[in-house]
Amino acid sequence: MNAGATKLAIRCTDVVKRYGTFVALDRVSTTIATGEVVCVIGPSGSGKSTLLRTMNGLETIDSGTVDVLGHTLPGPRRELETIRRRVGMVFQNFNLFGHMTVRENLVLAPMTARGLGRAEADEAAQKLLTRVGIGEQIDKYPAQLSGGQQQRVAIARALAMEPEIMLFDEPTSALDPEMVNEVLDVMRDLARGGMTMVVVTHEMGFAREVGDRILFMAEGQLLVDAAPATFFTAPEDERQKAFLSKVL
Amino acid sequence: MTFDLNALEADYPLVLQGLLVTLRIVFYAILFGAVGSVVLCLGKLSGRGPGYRVAVFVIDFFRTIPEVVLIFWVYSCLPLLFGLRMSAEVSGIVALSLFVAANVAEILRAGILSTEKGQLEAAFSLGLPAPTIWRRVVLPPAVRRMMPNFVNFLTELLKASSLLSTIGVAEIVYQATVLGNETFAYLEFLTAVAVLFFMLIFPLSLYVRRAETRHFKRTSR
Ligand SMILES: Nc1ncnc2c1ncn2[C@@H]1O[C@H](COP(=O)(O)OP(=O)(O)OP(=O)(O)O)[C@@H](O)[C@H]1O
Ligand SMILES: [Mg+2]
Repeated sequence: MNAGATKLAIRCTDVVKRYGTFVALDRVSTTIATGEVVCVIGPSGSGKSTLLRTMNGLETIDSGTVDVLGHTLPGPRRELETIRRRVGMVFQNFNLFGHMTVRENLVLAPMTARGLGRAEADEAAQKLLTRVGIGEQIDKYPAQLSGGQQQRVAIARALAMEPEIMLFDEPTSALDPEMVNEVLDVMRDLARGGMTMVVVTHEMGFAREVGDRILFMAEGQLLVDAAPATFFTAPEDERQKAFLSKVL
Repeated sequence: MTFDLNALEADYPLVLQGLLVTLRIVFYAILFGAVGSVVLCLGKLSGRGPGYRVAVFVIDFFRTIPEVVLIFWVYSCLPLLFGLRMSAEVSGIVALSLFVAANVAEILRAGILSTEKGQLEAAFSLGLPAPTIWRRVVLPPAVRRMMPNFVNFLTELLKASSLLSTIGVAEIVYQATVLGNETFAYLEFLTAVAVLFFMLIFPLSLYVRRAETRHFKRTSR
């Protein structure tokens, strides 16, 4: 991150999310600057995905606000679409459109939501696929690709909207171990290119190496917000210590 | 008792004419029923309000009453209630359209509701407009999933259409019965009907079975 020039990308203010009486997010507040790579870690069920999903309005919230690129959530429905076009998301299970080819997956949103022409969208799709290392697979269906390739298509699909922020929800958790790195490499490249990224992950090596900041969550609360070096070598919180002793 | 194919020879054009009537009625029933089914399905999907309650009632009602009763009601009660004068064939089409609308509405609804949550979330997260989500993301796979159910229902509809003979519609079973009465070759004519129905329906069931094994292969990987 460039010191000094910190433009705000996302600000969460006292975000509360409940499922019935269960509190999934308990007054979470944080800010993320443009160009930052923030990794969210914590035990299962601690609210990582829920927090991430509030950042593009996939999850409604019960109180508090989430500001994204100058828009405030909860807000009007139309604005939600605008936000989502500017914020890409990558899911654990890829969620590619199985009845479309890779090409169709990549051109659908640019053509309908960005108003690109067929040729333009096609060219962009080809470029993106080459960039994530699967340029030759453009006319295949998702089911014909390996998990790692599918996830790279999913990343390319999100990038095709030229988003300003990318959200990743455990992008490598559904992959066979030998495919994890091909996906992490793509994410590393993105980070190096200056993309603002929020990454929920269990890949501690990646968080440590690529993250500018680590957010540690437990039981719906944001407990620790620290630079990777501090986070991994000088843990202070008890639950953080317990978590690290399990995963490191 | 003998089985005399010669009995068919003179009168088979009438049987085929009956078949044509059957196909015509089924065609219109599907046409009008499809429109009704979309309306009912959207009503039920809306989840609340008067539209929802009406849709649920109509669907449940026309799915539960026996088709024979439905056909007879439409034929004898609609003229009384609304002073409509309809030919037997038209009231048959009305009755079967209701039968189609209620059943296909449920098939549509099941297909749409079986859309994976992840597919919708991906579509939302890309900021796709709602009409695009329906047209490009939800419907194509949903229709593919519904196909076996559609075809199953089509076979049911074909069979149900034979009940129109009870109100005197000159469809295939009616023709066969009349010819049987005249020539005493009941067995021959009704067997011919069975063969024709089999020829219509068997390819459909074959299709469904193939589609189901295909689906099984795809989902069991
Ligand atoms: N739709 C829902 N209904 C009820 N409870 C939910 C729902 N979605 C999430 N939860 C609960 O909210 C809590 C936080 O869920 P979340 O998915 O954010 O956890 P997570 O930190 O991402 O966990 P994991 O590492 O397993 O993905 C969990 O206890 C979960 O059971
Ligand atoms: Mg999660």
